[in-house]
Amino acid sequence: MILDTRTDPRVAGSSPAARGARSRRRRRLDAFGRYSFVLPAVIFLIVFMLYPLVYTFNLSLFDVNAGNFLTGGAPFVGLENYAQFLTSPNFLPSLIITLVFTVGSLVFQHSIGFMFALFFNRGFPLSGLLRALMLVVWVMPAVVSASLWRWIFSGSYGLFNAFLGLLGIPSTEPWLVNPNTALIAVIIANIWVGIPFHMMLLFAGLQGVPIQLYEAASIDGASAWQRFWRITVPMMRPVIVIALLLGFVHTFKVFDLIYVMTAGGPAGATNVLSIEVYKLSFEYFRFGDGAAAANVLLIIPLLLSVLYLWLRRREESTL
Amino acid sequence: MSAPSRTVTLTETLVTPGRKPSRRGLKSERPKWHLTAVAIVVVGMFLFPLYWLVSTSFKSPEQLFTKPPTWVPVPVDVSNYATAVFDNPIMMRALGNSVIISIGATLMTLLLAAPAAYALARLRLRWTALLLLPFLVAQLLPAINVALPMFTLFTQWGLVNSYAGLILANTVGTLPFAVIVLRPFYLTIPKELEEAAAVDGATRFQAFFRIVLPLVRPGLVTVAVFAFVMTWGEFVFGLTLTTQREMQPVTVTLNSFIGLYGTQWGPLMAASTIVAIPLIIVFVIFQRYITSGLAAGSVKD
Repeated sequence: MILDTRTDPRVAGSSPAARGARSRRRRRLDAFGRYSFVLPAVIFLIVFMLYPLVYTFNLSLFDVNAGNFLTGGAPFVGLENYAQFLTSPNFLPSLIITLVFTVGSLVFQHSIGFMFALFFNRGFPLSGLLRALMLVVWVMPAVVSASLWRWIFSGSYGLFNAFLGLLGIPSTEPWLVNPNTALIAVIIANIWVGIPFHMMLLFAGLQGVPIQLYEAASIDGASAWQRFWRITVPMMRPVIVIALLLGFVHTFKVFDLIYVMTAGGPAGATNVLSIEVYKLSFEYFRFGDGAAAANVLLIIPLLLSVLYLWLRRREESTL
Repeated sequence: MSAPSRTVTLTETLVTPGRKPSRRGLKSERPKWHLTAVAIVVVGMFLFPLYWLVSTSFKSPEQLFTKPPTWVPVPVDVSNYATAVFDNPIMMRALGNSVIISIGATLMTLLLAAPAAYALARLRLRWTALLLLPFLVAQLLPAINVALPMFTLFTQWGLVNSYAGLILANTVGTLPFAVIVLRPFYLTIPKELEEAAAVDGATRFQAFFRIVLPLVRPGLVTVAVFAFVMTWGEFVFGLTLTTQREMQPVTVTLNSFIGLYGTQWGPLMAASTIVAIPLIIVFVIFQRYITSGLAAGSVKD
């Protein structure tokens, strides 16, 4: 402890009884001093994060809509909003689209990111600079990336179709207009956005793998493939798990990229849960239904957060 | 406080401030320039969409719609920038809004996160683990889950269509991350410094402001850069917490442009480039801090 009253020169010299009372008061003051550092942030989060989340739960139990939103007096409907959302024709497709989007993005973001990380880890001139350049993609606002990819995926003059043409696959497909291809296009854009995140996390992890392991394995005649699966992957397991977990949570909740690229369309082909929540609340002004849907959306990230915290804990105790 | 080694987390081992990445490749005497060549090609392909963004913004309509595509815009046409941005008062106003909101949220984040992260790193709090919990969980929340109730609450509190409202909302997004990233920086500072300050009669607040804060400046810069980048690019709060065009951040205005301009890709890419430029500048200046911060793992999506 920093300000220990027993060694505080200012307390020395007074009578033992007075010292006891003063040190008790000092200790209480001291405790207040310590908590005063963290209290503003905690109070801020309680008012602007925790309270809104609790408020959402409250909203979800009332039939709040455009008619009574400002006037108040929405009727209490219990869990009816939840039942309505879970049985609505949009829920199941929305959940499936969200999962396809999340898993499809994550698999490629992670594996391509891993390849980049391994490549950069070989250490060559300018590797630091080139690695840093890739991060520019990650810094881009989602709206900028989304408007760029709208242009890339446009029909006759889009870059993506020109690229396919170079590969010998002539195409004039308007990727974001066709319900069969829109989800794939949105996933491709999101893979591009997410690669630097995985690359950086995995690259940082690779720095912690002792090079002696590889040298010993090489002497024993292990191939590069064997070294990867027998040394890199086991040594990197904690980093891989954290990257996948965080990647899943962050991808599951993606809203801006999809909203700007397709707004959930065409014909609901990219209507992920977060967009469904937005539409219910801010397009149809059914805030009760929207709140119920928002709480359903929260369940998976919340479960994964618990897993994340548990893993972090285990990580802390093993180190 | 327990031994520092026990509180070291994965995150902290990844971003231990000032840690130089160990050079791989003890065997290699000669620099591997052939790998550099491969890397330039691969990274160039990865970044090609960004080149496409900027080059499109300099194209005239005739250069836009050609087959095969016009790879290099010659002659350069800068009229898209006038149309979409500089002669467009809505866009100029939105840029100003974003500057105010981003700087406001950055300052607010620093103000709240700097002491909080210090307390969670250093001071013996009874519930450190429990206090850390909301910060960890908060960064995993979908923005729409906060935006929805916030809109109804802000309607009651008169904060819809206000800079204050948007600054507060954005700080909800940046604060948890800031605390998580800053904490390890405090852990690297020897406790003896504050103890010495206490012996010299400094109060805890004096020790914090005069001795500790200057030492974690790299951490503060990292957090400030991230808060700015996150807020500048933020979209969900801007979309839901404003109903008037005059108060929209630039990301929301850019989105409404897409509906307005349709397939006029030249002006649209010019506007997108302008929105991206402040972040590119921040990136070039503070790249080192962004790299270490991103390794902290949690970050924006």
